[in-house]
Amino acid sequence: MQIPLISLSNIGKSYPSVATGSNRLRTIAALLFKRGETPSFCALQGVNLELKAGESLGLIGENGAGKSTLLKIIAGVVKPSTGRVVVNGRIGALLELGSGFHPEYSGLENIHLAAALMGMSNAEIDSKLDSIIEFADIGSHIAEPIKHYSSGMVVRLGFAVATAMQPDVLITDEVLAVGDESFQKKCIRWIEGYLSQGGTLLLCSHSMFHIQTLCQKAVWIHDGQMHMYGNSFDVTREYLTYHEEKNSKAAYMESAVQPSGIYQIRKLWLENDLGAVITVVEMGGTLYLCGVAYSPDGRPPVILFGVARADGTSIYGTHSNETTYLLNKVSPSQFGFCVRLSNLQLLPGKYTIRAHAMDPEGLRLFDTVNTTVRITGQTRDYGLCRLEHEWIPARASFIAVEEDN
Amino acid sequence: MQIKNLWPYRWLLLNFLSREIKSRYVGSVSGIFWALLHPLALLAVYAVVFTAIFKVKFPELEDHSFILFVAVGLWPWLCFQEGAQRGALAVQNGGGLIKKVAFPHELLVYGAVLSTYAVHVVGFLLVIAVLALTGNDLYFSSLPLVLLLFCMQLLCTSGLALILAALQVLLKDVEHFLTPLFMIWFYATPVLYPASLVPQQIQQVIALNPLSFFITRIRGLLMTGNSQIGWQDMVMLAGSLLIFLAGRWFFNRLSPYFEDFI
Repeated sequence: MQIPLISLSNIGKSYPSVATGSNRLRTIAALLFKRGETPSFCALQGVNLELKAGESLGLIGENGAGKSTLLKIIAGVVKPSTGRVVVNGRIGALLELGSGFHPEYSGLENIHLAAALMGMSNAEIDSKLDSIIEFADIGSHIAEPIKHYSSGMVVRLGFAVATAMQPDVLITDEVLAVGDESFQKKCIRWIEGYLSQGGTLLLCSHSMFHIQTLCQKAVWIHDGQMHMYGNSFDVTREYLTYHEEKNSKAAYMESAVQPSGIYQIRKLWLENDLGAVITVVEMGGTLYLCGVAYSPDGRPPVILFGVARADGTSIYGTHSNETTYLLNKVSPSQFGFCVRLSNLQLLPGKYTIRAHAMDPEGLRLFDTVNTTVRITGQTRDYGLCRLEHEWIPARASFIAVEEDN
Repeated sequence: MQIKNLWPYRWLLLNFLSREIKSRYVGSVSGIFWALLHPLALLAVYAVVFTAIFKVKFPELEDHSFILFVAVGLWPWLCFQEGAQRGALAVQNGGGLIKKVAFPHELLVYGAVLSTYAVHVVGFLLVIAVLALTGNDLYFSSLPLVLLLFCMQLLCTSGLALILAALQVLLKDVEHFLTPLFMIWFYATPVLYPASLVPQQIQQVIALNPLSFFITRIRGLLMTGNSQIGWQDMVMLAGSLLIFLAGRWFFNRLSPYFEDFI
């Protein structure tokens, strides 16, 4: 049995409320003599967690859920009100932007300060100074005071110091998000290398992409409690679904209010093979897009549908006119339609499906209704959708192919 | 935390120390010169008021000048006052670090107190050197003992600063209460007058003031060369240690909760 690097048992944290003077005095007395109840509010409770060497754990949750408090407890910055924290190893914590930096001092002086805070000796720092400066890659700014740095440059420096420390556990709290694309990639590359050498990672992020690529496991903290713990793919999917449900009420209200007298889509839903309504489908599965459209004059409208990524990038769109598809009349002024999307090759993620009602001539667009679908599955592919492909052996003649350009 | 567990953080203490000294004087044009200017100005004011206006004369002076008498006591006092005041605010001023990094918080206080002592002890040595060169009789042979007394006083100051710093985090009132406290304390300490001039009734009270001991003793060592070590010295050594340890207990009892209040 391997000893866990970090083990938390029944961790809780409540902050004293010290709005009034008498409360303050009472709190001091209670803290000093370790008895008596103090007025407080609870930020975290009942958290049990273990992290073994070589594991990587992602921490997700809404703003104010208690993620940062938990990381601070593990890093030793905050003392938990209840429970026990056992840490067997050197922790490198990047809790916030430029933690441990002094704004008045130059980058170089701050490297020394931050490294000393992490428990490194002067000799150790000097021997690693070059690699830190190289990793931070902020050029001659290193000699200028930190207060003139951009937030991205501060993060570069902070991360560079943390990399030099070679901690047993690396804790980062949403710091990657500030760096630019190339620095993020550099950090992720470094973390991947660090993990492959047996390093342990505790990452807090709102980027599900980072959680999925860097972490094996994830914890979802909700209202100060552990809501879910498990495989990072499962937890992030649940978490995103939760957010969708939170937003879907607002979306429903939007589509409900519509004028009559024009062509419009009254209902739109997704089904699986069995005819059950779904919002989640496995990658490669079959999806039915069904709906009912209203026609003010009894003529069947033309339906247009499209798939877009959550950020709005269009992936594909087409309309019912293309195939001379005629909608079925389901009531005197309503027409039903259904589209089967088989062998769905969208990569896992959240997508928007949009349907529009057009006049029977297919000239004017009247109405837009959205619904979202979540594609599940585990893949290491990149992009939006999988293209049909096959890896095949090279022919011997490849070597003879001339380089034209 | 055990004192020995602080050893790995020695580099951090060094860093805080140099940071304190630098932040005080780096950037100002005259730099470290300010460290001497402030006490010298005070000394000049006292010299004018008490020798030119009041024309004070007391037997303890013997054939020494009043300026020498005050100078020898003024620097130890300033070490104490400035050290305690800076130390009291050190934790609050280091709030940014405390919220983000785990390290022994007491180092912030030590950094502030030690840097003050470093600056003023250097100033003190310069001033007594100048005074000796300008014809004042000083017993330099007792200088090691004087420095030892400074160290004891440093322990005392750190203990007090630790308590004040912890209270300052939890109760913001401490800051405002420090200025009047040290003003009264200054006049209750025999810096401008010899302890023997104090009326009999309040001699007992003055004797409870540790600063009164330190300043009288340092003055005695340098001006009369009385370098015999007596039981009072031992008591003071034990007392200084006790104050320091009490301060540490108080501070470390509350320090895990600083983050909640800053």
